[in-house]
Amino acid sequence: METVLSIQQLSKHYGKIEAIRELSVKINRGQIFGILGPNGSGKSTTLSITLDLVKPDKGNFSWFGENPSKESRKRIGSVIETPNFFPYLSPVKNLQIVADIKDQDYSDIDRVLEVTGLYERRHSKFKTFSFGMKQRLAIASALLGNPEVLILDEPTNGLDPQGIAQIREIILQVAKQGTTIILASHLLDEVQKICSHVAVISKGIKLFDGKVSEVLDISDSFELAAADMESLLVAIQSHPEYLSASRNGDHLLVYFNNGVKPADLNIFLFQKGLTLSYLSERKRSLEQHFLELLHDNQ
Amino acid sequence: MIKLLKIEFKKILTYRIFWILAGLYFIFLAAGIMMAEFMINNMVDNMNKHLPIPLPHVTIYFFPWIWQNIAFFATLRYVLIFPAIIVIIQITNEFTFKTIRQNVINGLSKSEILWSKLLLILLISCVITILFAIGTLIIGLIHTQVDGWRMVFEKSPFIFGFFVSILSYQVFAFFFGFLLRNTGLAIALFTLYSFIVEPIVYYFLKSPVVFRNSISPYLPVNSVLRITEYPAIPVLKKVMGLNLQDSVSLGQTCIPLLYAAIMIAIVVWVMNKRDL
Repeated sequence: METVLSIQQLSKHYGKIEAIRELSVKINRGQIFGILGPNGSGKSTTLSITLDLVKPDKGNFSWFGENPSKESRKRIGSVIETPNFFPYLSPVKNLQIVADIKDQDYSDIDRVLEVTGLYERRHSKFKTFSFGMKQRLAIASALLGNPEVLILDEPTNGLDPQGIAQIREIILQVAKQGTTIILASHLLDEVQKICSHVAVISKGIKLFDGKVSEVLDISDSFELAAADMESLLVAIQSHPEYLSASRNGDHLLVYFNNGVKPADLNIFLFQKGLTLSYLSERKRSLEQHFLELLHDNQ
Repeated sequence: MIKLLKIEFKKILTYRIFWILAGLYFIFLAAGIMMAEFMINNMVDNMNKHLPIPLPHVTIYFFPWIWQNIAFFATLRYVLIFPAIIVIIQITNEFTFKTIRQNVINGLSKSEILWSKLLLILLISCVITILFAIGTLIIGLIHTQVDGWRMVFEKSPFIFGFFVSILSYQVFAFFFGFLLRNTGLAIALFTLYSFIVEPIVYYFLKSPVVFRNSISPYLPVNSVLRITEYPAIPVLKKVMGLNLQDSVSLGQTCIPLLYAAIMIAIVVWVMNKRDL
């Protein structure tokens, strides 16, 4: 799979404060990659470095397998922290400036304003917008020209529930087109709902990365093995609480909705005529870990 | 280059404060130039009260000396400050609105951002210089019995001198804007330096308290003002026997340009070092 962003051993200090330490992440094309961590954990610093806003002390990164340049940034749409536009210009004029910088024509401006629901207000000055509208314009600007990668840093911060739902809907729509999305968030729930992959960072150190389903799913999971793995798979799929299953080495990793106990599972399979050679319950350790991290930081 | 200017135009042409400042600038400029002769003659009248032989009234709007006279009045600190403030606001706005970050994110390099502001300065300087040249030509033609184009353009190197003054003073403003990043602070310190700090340093260096030196004329703002240091009033010169400036010296125009080059280099260095 093609690597879109590769970060190697990135470190950055602000004075005495260590923002990130030897952070490495690899993001492939088509992933919806969440960077999850509490406030001040180094998410924005990491993204700012990859967008050439901040110089790292150590380490390097590459976009699309090349050395980063202004040309690679033109292929990326980004929303970083706050929406930054000229207050005295209309959304159309502001987006024209973005299009000029990215060497695009203006033909996509109406589309992105419609997608974000700002078309009706396209000639109002930016400073007359509500915060939610400003945030949506930031997303419109990031979507301009259908970039290969979309970077969203806390895109729902400060929005009301309706605004949050709107923005998530937009992100999921874009993801369907195969755009790679990098989403930084401190909300476990947000990452869970949107992302396919996640890296968890705290105090500038990466704790974990992998598939969201593997690490953050709140459903219970079990590792199972039997002499006849094919029959086991068929049998387990008939379980009423069954969610998904995947091969994990010699074992079958099975996800259930809440409330499945190992003993019940064993009985269920025995009734189906299968004897297990291996049964192990997987704890929701990472979710708990993440909540503890959040707690520590509060 | 065209692309960068196109972006700058979008940022500036619908900005009301720009038009207000540009309007004030041209009102100040026009009023200053039109009042100049009257004010000088007012001074002459006052002096004449104490003189046994009265000095004659002067006229300043005639060829070829009008180039020097209008260049002098149009490059007084009070007039030069307007385009400089426009430049400071155009630069510090990018930091206030954080659009400089957004522009880098979207695919401009830091050097392109510096370039776009320098191009804007160059363009503003060219426009003002062209207006200066056309305006001066018209005023001159109204007030002079023209006796061949040679007489008209004899002192036209002052157009170049005027251009260098406008350009380099705006580059000083560019320097303050990019280093201080805050609109109020940059305008305050720039004005304070131009109007108060440097004049104090100037007289301090000239005073007998300090060692004998000739540094004063080489101070940054002073070097800009010295390009056209005095108006040319041949009558007064003759009467008072003064030997005042009557041409643009190449050496003098090089000094503010050298300052401008150093300041640009410092800004480039700082911008490359600093995070946005």
